[in-house]
Amino acid sequence: MRTSDCTPRIKAWIAFAALLTAGDLLTVDIASAAAETVKRGGTMVFARPDNPLTLDPFVPNDNGSIYTLEQVCDSLVEADSTGRGLRPGLAESWEISPDGLTYIFKIRDAKFSNGDPVTVDDVVFSLKSLADPKRSMSFILKPVKSVEAIDDKHVKVTLSEPYAPMLSAVSVYASGIVEKKVYEADPEKFGTIPMCAGPFAVESNDRSSKVVLVRNPYYWDIAPDGKPYPYLDKIEMLFVPESNTRVLGLKNGDYDAISTVGFNQAKSLEAGGDLVLEAQPIFRLDYVYLNHSKKPLDNKKIRLALNYAANREAILKAVYFGFGELPNSYMPVVNFHSKSVPLLPYDINKAKQLVQEAGYDGTPIKLMVDTGNAPFHQIATILQQGWGQAGIKTEIVEFDVGTAFNMTQQGDYQAYVSYITSDINDTDELATIEADYNAGTNAFFTWYNNPQVQQMLKDARTTLDEKKRAELYAKVQEIVYNDGYSVPLNFVPAINGLHSYVKGWKQLANGWWWLQYVWLDK
Amino acid sequence: MLFLNYIANRLLQMMPVIFGISLVGFFAIHLVPGDPIQIMMHGHASPESVAAARAQLGLDRPLLEQYGRFVMLAVTGDFGQSIVQRQAVGAIVGERVLPTVFLLSYSTVLAILIALPLALISARYSDHLVDHAIRIGGMVGFAMPPFWVGLLLMLFFGLYLRWLPVSGLGNDFADRVRHLLLPSATIALFLAPILVQSLRSAMLEVMTADYIEVARAKGLTPRRILLKHVLRNALIPVITILAVNIGWLLSGAVIVEYVFSYPGLGSLLVRAVSYRDYPVIQGLSIVFGVLVVIVNLMADLSYILVDRRVLKK
Repeated sequence: MRTSDCTPRIKAWIAFAALLTAGDLLTVDIASAAAETVKRGGTMVFARPDNPLTLDPFVPNDNGSIYTLEQVCDSLVEADSTGRGLRPGLAESWEISPDGLTYIFKIRDAKFSNGDPVTVDDVVFSLKSLADPKRSMSFILKPVKSVEAIDDKHVKVTLSEPYAPMLSAVSVYASGIVEKKVYEADPEKFGTIPMCAGPFAVESNDRSSKVVLVRNPYYWDIAPDGKPYPYLDKIEMLFVPESNTRVLGLKNGDYDAISTVGFNQAKSLEAGGDLVLEAQPIFRLDYVYLNHSKKPLDNKKIRLALNYAANREAILKAVYFGFGELPNSYMPVVNFHSKSVPLLPYDINKAKQLVQEAGYDGTPIKLMVDTGNAPFHQIATILQQGWGQAGIKTEIVEFDVGTAFNMTQQGDYQAYVSYITSDINDTDELATIEADYNAGTNAFFTWYNNPQVQQMLKDARTTLDEKKRAELYAKVQEIVYNDGYSVPLNFVPAINGLHSYVKGWKQLANGWWWLQYVWLDK
Repeated sequence: MLFLNYIANRLLQMMPVIFGISLVGFFAIHLVPGDPIQIMMHGHASPESVAAARAQLGLDRPLLEQYGRFVMLAVTGDFGQSIVQRQAVGAIVGERVLPTVFLLSYSTVLAILIALPLALISARYSDHLVDHAIRIGGMVGFAMPPFWVGLLLMLFFGLYLRWLPVSGLGNDFADRVRHLLLPSATIALFLAPILVQSLRSAMLEVMTADYIEVARAKGLTPRRILLKHVLRNALIPVITILAVNIGWLLSGAVIVEYVFSYPGLGSLLVRAVSYRDYPVIQGLSIVFGVLVVIVNLMADLSYILVDRRVLKK
């Protein structure tokens, strides 16, 4: 399997994470290799599927916006070049009080892309804007009680309770630092042409098909050649929703790089001489949501039977063309993922036995799929077959994404083929959303209610002892997975296509790319 | 004067049509399940903050009240703010109108350029081999899904011959014409067969008319009869069919815009619907309504060009 080579990487990260203490983070910069050969300058044409809805960091929740913002707006803390660790961003250092309730960030001498200095006022304004409860991402700063500047270099954040993922929280796109003056002057315009202190600035944005990014000449991060990042002068980011069109455009030279290559087309890129296929594991899990409040899924034996009768190998081969890894968890591979939880195997006999023990009354399960999503429909068909063999009747129903998601939220569904991704570099976010019944989404619309898990998640969230957190999250993973929380299908990788002259490409596990390290060898 | 009256009259008739479109559009999308705030926050938000955001946008008010407010603002030209983009709907929708109008005009011109000569040949040599060939070719063109035709054209002209780009807008007019040749051809290949078919049958019908016999008796050449008398009289039903189809093409453009990643109204509509971005959907339904009405008005005006007697009726 193609991505089996990701295993050592993840193990290395876990070992590495254990070394980290929340106070002093190490900077891991694998981008510094091969510095002497780097060529600066040039324009890269990069085609990706989704256009940004807005570049106001406090508003969006779509990947089109998020992945663009990551190139434009730096936060106090940044994901490192792998996306699995953290490094200082606009805060050059920070101190955490022993009780974990106070964070003091020292703000770096950095500049916005118009040359204005980044001030503590800008930082306070940005964090307060994000923490406004009407903002869609405000939950990530929920424990924040106050944000204030203590002098012209330091910002103090006070929490109402210890919050282990705090540094990850101020690293996400929504914590991007904006220039207060420009934002307040015209927030609507800011959504089109933002003013931030990231490696690139937005030169133009037609809000539909193209965003042109230019090098921020004032960027604070210095490359190994002694000059600031980024290497490229310009990036034309084109938004091409149709996967076939992206692949054709890459092949005929319209684009230098494309993201989100369809699994069925990836092989055709591998065959081409000048093209490079890049598959990297990311924080994504495709899985079947199960509604535990609906019969017969309220019975754990039935939920487990669905897992044993799911032919994941066949799905991996037929739908994902071998890209991915069989999942041993209810959530994506994030920092505290445990490799040691054993996989639930494909075992029809075991499933049959469980169905009998459960006294299944023949109620059919309605398996919901988004209209027009061919891969998910194919998955549903393979599942239907396996479940049928185990004696469970399945009916596949289709709704458009908006309707399907709404029905899921209302609890008006039984099973739904979908996925989840994590933006944040900490197990806490998704573990809480997915498995904590009291966190506000009914355990991500499964109505899964296990008090033992809730207590363990609470303990993990409020301790700063990394080793203890790792143990707790591993235990939670094992319990939730074996409760038949869902039917996990595949840890899905990100697949990009590049021309071979595109160098230094960094796919992050969070889903986006560090384009400041990219250079063109031509 | 008669002419201006005619136009004013038609424009007045537009008003209730557009009002009706806005009413149906508004209730249709609100009655479909789905909630923009929930979709946007993707379930990450607490019920309280969802409720707060809904109240802020007025989504918690009764539907009739929401519609009333929409109409009150719309008549002043204010279509509200996009929920997911936080920008004025007028601007978001407005900047997409010209690209789509350009694409459709280009496709229509291409379709006419393809259809006119083929229809003339088909009618002139009806039931000959060449007529059958054109009709069968037309059936095939019409039956192929635009999605697939677009990809085939891209594969052939973009990848193998490398003559044309597979996506993008182009910078100046000439570049734009080049960039849009493939998407326009995709639409034209669908539209042209309809035109050939209707023009051919209209011409064959006209050819049996008495005045054509008269023209023939006067000793006019077949060529002159066909171009001057037959074609002109056959055009009126064809214009009607063209107008109806252009209205219909607005929806067909959605697919073509998607395949060619063209930033028009269609691709905006797809996105707005999937996010349940009500203000944008409402703005779009009005723009689509206006466009369809305008196309019909233009069809009416071109009847006048072809046949002055229309004014007197």
